[in-house]
Amino acid sequence: MIGMLKSMATTMKHALDGEKFTVQYPEETPDVSPRFRGVHKFSQERCIWCRQCENVCPNDTIQIITDDQRNGEEYNLHIGQCIYCRLCEEVCPVDAILLTQNFEFTGDTKDDLAYNKEQLKNVPWFKDIDPLASREPDRGAWIGEGEGEVDYQ
Amino acid sequence: MSLEEPKPTDVGETPDGNVDYAELEALLGDAVIGREEHVNAPAFVVRPDEVQQALGALREEAGFDYCSCVTAQEYEDRYESIYHLKKYDDPTQEVGVVVPTTRDEPVSQSGEAVYRTADWHEREAYDLVGIEYADHPDLRRILLPETWQGHPLGKDYNPEKPQVVPFREHANPLEPDQRGEGSESDTMFINIGPHHPATHGVLHVETVLDGEQIADVEPDIGYLHRCEEQMCQQSTYRHQIMPYPDRWDYVSAGILNEWAYARAAEDMADIEVPEYAQVIRTMSAELCRIASHMLALGTFALDVFGDFTAVFQYAFRDREVVQDILEDLTGQRLMFNYLRLGGVAWDIPEPREEFFEKVRDFLDGLPKKTQEYHNLITSNEIFQLRCVNTGELPPEVAKQYGATGPVARGSGVDIDLRRDDPYGYYEELDWDVITEDGCDNYSRVLVRMREVEESAKIIEQCVDLLEEWPEEERTIQANVPRTLKPDPDTEIYRGVEAAKGELGIYMRSDGTDKPARFKIRSPCFCNLHTLREMTEGEYIPDLIASLGSLDIVLGEVDR
Amino acid sequence: MIPAQTQTPLPDIIGDLLGFGTEMGPGETFIASFIGAALVGTLMLTMTALAGPWAKRKITAAFTDRYAVNRIGPAGLLIIVADAVRLLSKELIVPEGVDRPAWDLAPIVIASSALLGFAVIPMGNGIHLADPEAGLVYVFAVASIASVGLVMAGYASNNKFSMLGGLRAVAQNLAYEIPLVLIAASVVLFAGSLQMSEIVAAQTETLVSLGGVAIPSWYVFVNPFAFVLFMVANLMEVGRNPFDIPEAPTEIVAGYQTEYSSAYFVLIYLGEFIHIFLGGAIIATLFLGGPAGPVLPGILWFIIKIWAVFLFTQWARSALPRLRIDQLIEVGWKGMLVLALANLVLTAVIVGVIA
Repeated sequence: MIGMLKSMATTMKHALDGEKFTVQYPEETPDVSPRFRGVHKFSQERCIWCRQCENVCPNDTIQIITDDQRNGEEYNLHIGQCIYCRLCEEVCPVDAILLTQNFEFTGDTKDDLAYNKEQLKNVPWFKDIDPLASREPDRGAWIGEGEGEVDYQ
Repeated sequence: MSLEEPKPTDVGETPDGNVDYAELEALLGDAVIGREEHVNAPAFVVRPDEVQQALGALREEAGFDYCSCVTAQEYEDRYESIYHLKKYDDPTQEVGVVVPTTRDEPVSQSGEAVYRTADWHEREAYDLVGIEYADHPDLRRILLPETWQGHPLGKDYNPEKPQVVPFREHANPLEPDQRGEGSESDTMFINIGPHHPATHGVLHVETVLDGEQIADVEPDIGYLHRCEEQMCQQSTYRHQIMPYPDRWDYVSAGILNEWAYARAAEDMADIEVPEYAQVIRTMSAELCRIASHMLALGTFALDVFGDFTAVFQYAFRDREVVQDILEDLTGQRLMFNYLRLGGVAWDIPEPREEFFEKVRDFLDGLPKKTQEYHNLITSNEIFQLRCVNTGELPPEVAKQYGATGPVARGSGVDIDLRRDDPYGYYEELDWDVITEDGCDNYSRVLVRMREVEESAKIIEQCVDLLEEWPEEERTIQANVPRTLKPDPDTEIYRGVEAAKGELGIYMRSDGTDKPARFKIRSPCFCNLHTLREMTEGEYIPDLIASLGSLDIVLGEVDR
Repeated sequence: MIPAQTQTPLPDIIGDLLGFGTEMGPGETFIASFIGAALVGTLMLTMTALAGPWAKRKITAAFTDRYAVNRIGPAGLLIIVADAVRLLSKELIVPEGVDRPAWDLAPIVIASSALLGFAVIPMGNGIHLADPEAGLVYVFAVASIASVGLVMAGYASNNKFSMLGGLRAVAQNLAYEIPLVLIAASVVLFAGSLQMSEIVAAQTETLVSLGGVAIPSWYVFVNPFAFVLFMVANLMEVGRNPFDIPEAPTEIVAGYQTEYSSAYFVLIYLGEFIHIFLGGAIIATLFLGGPAGPVLPGILWFIIKIWAVFLFTQWARSALPRLRIDQLIEVGWKGMLVLALANLVLTAVIVGVIA
């Protein structure tokens, strides 16, 4: 009986203190960490078309089409298929692809979520957070050359 | 943990607590036709018609009472089943039993009679690889539908072939309204799931009821089978596998799962992880454990209380704090992809003090929250009425079924790989393994709640260490070649203590940058197998509560 | 301090207003009663509408630190309209093999049986439809008709979960109904009447006077033990946590209501809430002095009291785990029944000694 009363007292305490832990979403956006991984942003100016991101992508989300001189023509990324593992950003030697904090995107069909390079370029920064600032320090550690076979391509 | 005095039954154990493989080989006698060296432990190659005898001898005489996993695979010239055996008393004492069978007639004797847990493992091996087990009591497919054509992990499987099954060939689950002795029986067959409010995912429990009481249950799994093993076999060691472990046990135990892969791969490729990275790993893994146990507590309360009410919400609120911390650290809330072979992806986020303060704030608030849960749940008489002495799992049965994690520890089985088979930074830290002797649903809940406190202790020590760590020694990543190609035919089985128990990874390399066989030993898979033992003769509400207290995640059961 | 209860039933007042005179013919009685019943029914349905889609969410949210509905209308109140439209516009799915007349009748039985009970409840300000001498017996009789509805729904649905729910409803019904009536009987012993107005009137006397504040002899003060027992038995009666065993969403999906959708679901849902309010009304009448209370008019006090009981059910829902069916029956037969009997005997002795 005492235990039951204790339970009921506990919930009543919560009811009376009036605190809320949920947020009213569209008006009040939850805080997003600087490292948060959202939609990609792609910069054609930086890209050297080395295809490392395409190769590393675990589920073939990135599709790169180049001409026979290895000049880039298309860079497609299906943001609905992406698992947001950030490996593409990690392997990119020139920071041409970045994951912004932007997690707000919709599409009426799955095809709407297949972004081409223009769409990827136009992805807005989320609340003006520049992911590079928070991510720079680790890049050296990641790309660091091992003792064994080094394979950049 | 070494045994002080070797028990007389333990043949094949040296006085200092190591395995004497020569003696074991002598014990097995003619059954052994060779020996293989795996990275974790040597393995005996056993004749396919002597499996039971060999396993029986290892279990009865040598004390290998824990069959952690059965891996099946196909080579160019043969099939092979590997029984990974351990001891509950000392999981570092390992031995493998390799059973090769010919390609023409892939039949080997079943180990089910010796280890009950082999039942489901062998069914999975039959299902995915196509090895048949003689004397197996119930050799059916387990993950794939009964009507599936071919064995997907076999070499001659044709993935292009459409699996079209005419409607009439589907077994109608509603057909057998009655099960039991003849049509005269008054039992009722009922399908709990795959769509049911309390099955924690798409689990289908075929239940036979005698009134309100359970006459028989048979979990039907595989609805969430996503070919995780095959996906890993098609991915590179270095980069591509790591995002996937997050998706096995997908309720916030991500880093624990990643560590299972990282540990196996690092041991296989002989990668040394910097100490600093180990501390970060330990801390983040324990944060994951807290988040995972909070969810387990919340959903268990949900099953017992009956609605999305207070306990569930409070548990989620507290888990949210952990997830915020993990988001700051890893960049995601669930699918972390944080560990890397040889280290971690990020250092502690700058400013470090702010992060540590956030963690400390959480830890400081935890005792109050735990007390609240105790007030709300464990001290509640109705809750005790519902949970004490229901879903009983005696320790011997738990061992037979290969149960690990809080399920085993709730039955008084003192096993925790963090202590028994140390990895990471656990050995240096001061914490305890929690066991409860109640063997019931209540004990399992208590174990989880107390483990949260232990995890908090570990995190606190890690934060202290990280704060003090000299700046120039903060190496988060060892030098690892960008393409990892372990030597051909290196085999390893390694487990870590994930949120639900021993999450083991078996890998075999074939000299390429992708594993030739990648097998996941899922703790939930083995724990779920105990459901029948736990619920027979109990009431439907107890079935639901037991299922909740097992804390299964179907993503990990089905993989 | 407390105004004497008007003894004129509501239909007579309405007849007066309509100019039917003091001696009403059968037709006139019917019209007046019908209007009175419609008034009471509307009041109860309005409260249910408020409670179901809105208040329940708000209350649960308060217990669980959330916001709940607050987008549509002031404080989210228009969610009631939105929900009504949503529920009624859904397809009514009739599963294969249901036992048709019973399956269709069950929701109506469940919803109407609870409404019937309000006929004899004195709500203050002259809102009292009828005042038969055996009013209390009538209330319990009609309230338990709902169980028949549950069994009908469970049995006719052609679904095993529903079947289990229906069977559980019967078992539960047997376990709580007897203690419930026995506890009520102890109140009857005090009041010396089964007539609702008499029971209310008996509670207007002053029990003790504390510092000038007169505490009325509400039976909650006279016999708190019986009150606690009755609150528990009432939770069982209305089938709310921790006794929502016939529904038990996590065990048997939704029990007897698994197969109901659209308008039928609304009826069942409605019936549950009216049932909670009827339980509140019985408690208010038996233990809380009916519509009595200072300053505010009686009907408001009455509504406050039944909402307090509703709030209590929601509070219990937030904090208490559900019992198992065998445990509930054990509590009912071995615990509640014994305590109720003890209470009855004790009351009888006390009343006998005092009188």
